Amino acid sequence: MDAFDVAVIGAGAIGTSVAYHLCEKGLSVALIDRGDIACGSSSHCDAVALICDKQPGIDTVMGQASIDLYGELSKRFEYDFEYDPKGCLYVCETDAEYEAAEKYVSEQVANGCDMRMAGNEELCEMEPYIAKDLKGGIYTPGTGAIAVSPYKVCYAFVEEAKKLNLRVYTYCKIRKILLNEKTNAVEGIETDQGIIRSNKVINCAGAWAPDVGEMAGLEIPIQPRKGMNLVSEQTERICFHKILEFGYMMSKFDNINFKRNVSPLVEEYNVAFNIEYTKANNLLVGGYRGFRGFDIRSEIEAMKAISERALRFFPCLKDIKCIRSYAGVRPFVKDHLPIVSDVDSVPGFYIAAGHEGDGICFSPITGKLMAQIVTGEETDFDISRLDYARFAG
Amino acid sequence: MLSRDIVIIGAGPAGLAASIEAGKAGADVLVADLNMKPGGQLFKQIHKFFGSSEHHSGTRGTDIGIRLLKEAENAGVEIWLRSAVIGIFPGNKVAIRKDLGDGKTELITLLAKKIIMATGASENVVRFKGWTSPGVMGAGAAQTMVNVNHVKPGKKIVMVGSGNVGLIVSYQLMQAGCEVVAVVEAAPGIGGYAVHAAKICRAGVPIYTKHTVVEAVTDEDGCVKEVVIAEVDGKFNPVAGTEKRLEADTVTIAAGLKPVVELPRLLNCDFSYHGLFGGWIPLHNKNMETSVAGIYVAGDSTGVEEANTALEEGRIAGIAAAESLGLIPADRADARKKEIWGRLESLRMGPFGEKRLKGKEAILKEYKERIGLPSVR
Repeated sequence: MDAFDVAVIGAGAIGTSVAYHLCEKGLSVALIDRGDIACGSSSHCDAVALICDKQPGIDTVMGQASIDLYGELSKRFEYDFEYDPKGCLYVCETDAEYEAAEKYVSEQVANGCDMRMAGNEELCEMEPYIAKDLKGGIYTPGTGAIAVSPYKVCYAFVEEAKKLNLRVYTYCKIRKILLNEKTNAVEGIETDQGIIRSNKVINCAGAWAPDVGEMAGLEIPIQPRKGMNLVSEQTERICFHKILEFGYMMSKFDNINFKRNVSPLVEEYNVAFNIEYTKANNLLVGGYRGFRGFDIRSEIEAMKAISERALRFFPCLKDIKCIRSYAGVRPFVKDHLPIVSDVDSVPGFYIAAGHEGDGICFSPITGKLMAQIVTGEETDFDISRLDYARFAG
Repeated sequence: MLSRDIVIIGAGPAGLAASIEAGKAGADVLVADLNMKPGGQLFKQIHKFFGSSEHHSGTRGTDIGIRLLKEAENAGVEIWLRSAVIGIFPGNKVAIRKDLGDGKTELITLLAKKIIMATGASENVVRFKGWTSPGVMGAGAAQTMVNVNHVKPGKKIVMVGSGNVGLIVSYQLMQAGCEVVAVVEAAPGIGGYAVHAAKICRAGVPIYTKHTVVEAVTDEDGCVKEVVIAEVDGKFNPVAGTEKRLEADTVTIAAGLKPVVELPRLLNCDFSYHGLFGGWIPLHNKNMETSVAGIYVAGDSTGVEEANTALEEGRIAGIAAAESLGLIPADRADARKKEIWGRLESLRMGPFGEKRLKGKEAILKEYKERIGLPSVR
């Protein structure tokens, strides 16, 4: 029979990081996925970790800590995960957006973040192909805006953790969480590959975390939220940073206070422009978010809306072909904060899930924090707002 | 949103035959094809077909193409050419980049009650040193160049593969005035019909069996100037010291075909692997319907065979789709489909055909066991 100190469920950006950080503590760890490594949201997303799309508070603290960790890991890991501190521009279409951006920047600078406003002229210098009529934007240098290859991040954590004796179970379906009849404490997992004994189980199943929670009698309020991107053919570099429209932040937090001057199609599909170049020089162009259950088929209307919005910011895209589109689900939580927590009612059961569009960004710090929780150490900072107990009652 | 009773993707023999049957039954049919001309591969098949008279023996592919086009026109079928289907989306929305002429296009989304996918096959590649150099191409591409566009792909040609495509295209390249330096075949024997092989042997073209291409050597411009071939061992690996250097400027590859299946993949149709038919194919039942209700396949895209079987499968798909729309009474549709399945059986006879007959029966059986009835997705 297989026995471990900890069993981690889900081999995406969160689960692989959690597993790695636990191995680093010297624990014996099993990482289990019903598919392959990075087969869920972590291979159906885009590739950036940004500080400039975080709300002030825990969101920003975690974001910056995670981005810093990525920098360290890129030096320490043998496995190359395409770390690229490309910097980011949040561009404003209107004066009202520019004012709101200024307010946001001053707040974040006060929190210690490295970012500043750039006017129209500077923006056009930094991005020669961008629409000339924009008001300017928020510039964040590479210290707060990086790109990584999301699935290579997962593989990097796994490969590095294997050196620390991580055991990986792929294509392994979980049937049951084994709980002690008296104490309700975790005793192991029953899978289609046999029983895995462990007194600690960490649910890192992202949008599928509720299914795993249910096996331990828990209700986890995570919903799948669909995100979709377009992929361009390989081109010469036409953009030099991660670029997003300021309205994106609004769409992300569901509180569009600005009436954007957009078509009904863009409005209906809640599309906010963002673009990034990849290492292979294809462009990833987004984005759309919507609730469609676990249906990740591409939607032609969303594709059209994304293209329409992208042309507004990068008119030269009209001469560049879209070769593909893809969608994935993001684990959505109503208050837009992940759950990184133990569970009082089920001793030995932990949750690290619900990162919505920030799973890649928060991957390193989530792993580090969860390892601290599991080993009973003090966490790097106060994460009481990420507690599962916040949903009680 | 625009809508059509039936949207057919691909205007080759399968697609055209489907459109004729459905159109004659009164369905509102649109065929989209990304090529400049309809007919698929028929218009480059300038050779006469084998088989029985009901299957166009003695008729050239081009003439069959012209006849099909005429019939489709008479059946009121609308054909959009140079128009690529870029995807099929939830709710049977077919997105087509329609050609408007003068280099202009428009992305049109239309609602299809039924969809027939007849997207054909694509050529397999063989990788060797220099395989991406100008002068290395598929045999099908070379055939299109000489027979459709009347352009010689090169002067001195090495053909890789001795199946019927390799042999026939070699002969047609010679007819067009190219010199075929050699036909290279990895297997111990010639793959295609003896009658085709004899034709090119009589013309003095050597056929090197148990040989493979090792390298296409290029000149200072990067174009092919010499082809290195070598004998292979039992595992198809080149044997050192057996190399021969052939002066040639073109390598054409006839290493088989594989079904073009991106669209049924997008639609989450159930697939099965059949090496005999070129690889992964969408499963279908006797109506040529996939595991997804209302989505049909026909022709090479559901198993690489030849133009006549594609045509007959297309007819079945067209009849079944029209029947499901209530345009053909069930008894009449059944009788027609039965008749066509009979003809397909006779096409799949003989030493080459029998394996395919058994293979297709296995596909129908697998569909019955794994899927049973098509479902809405």
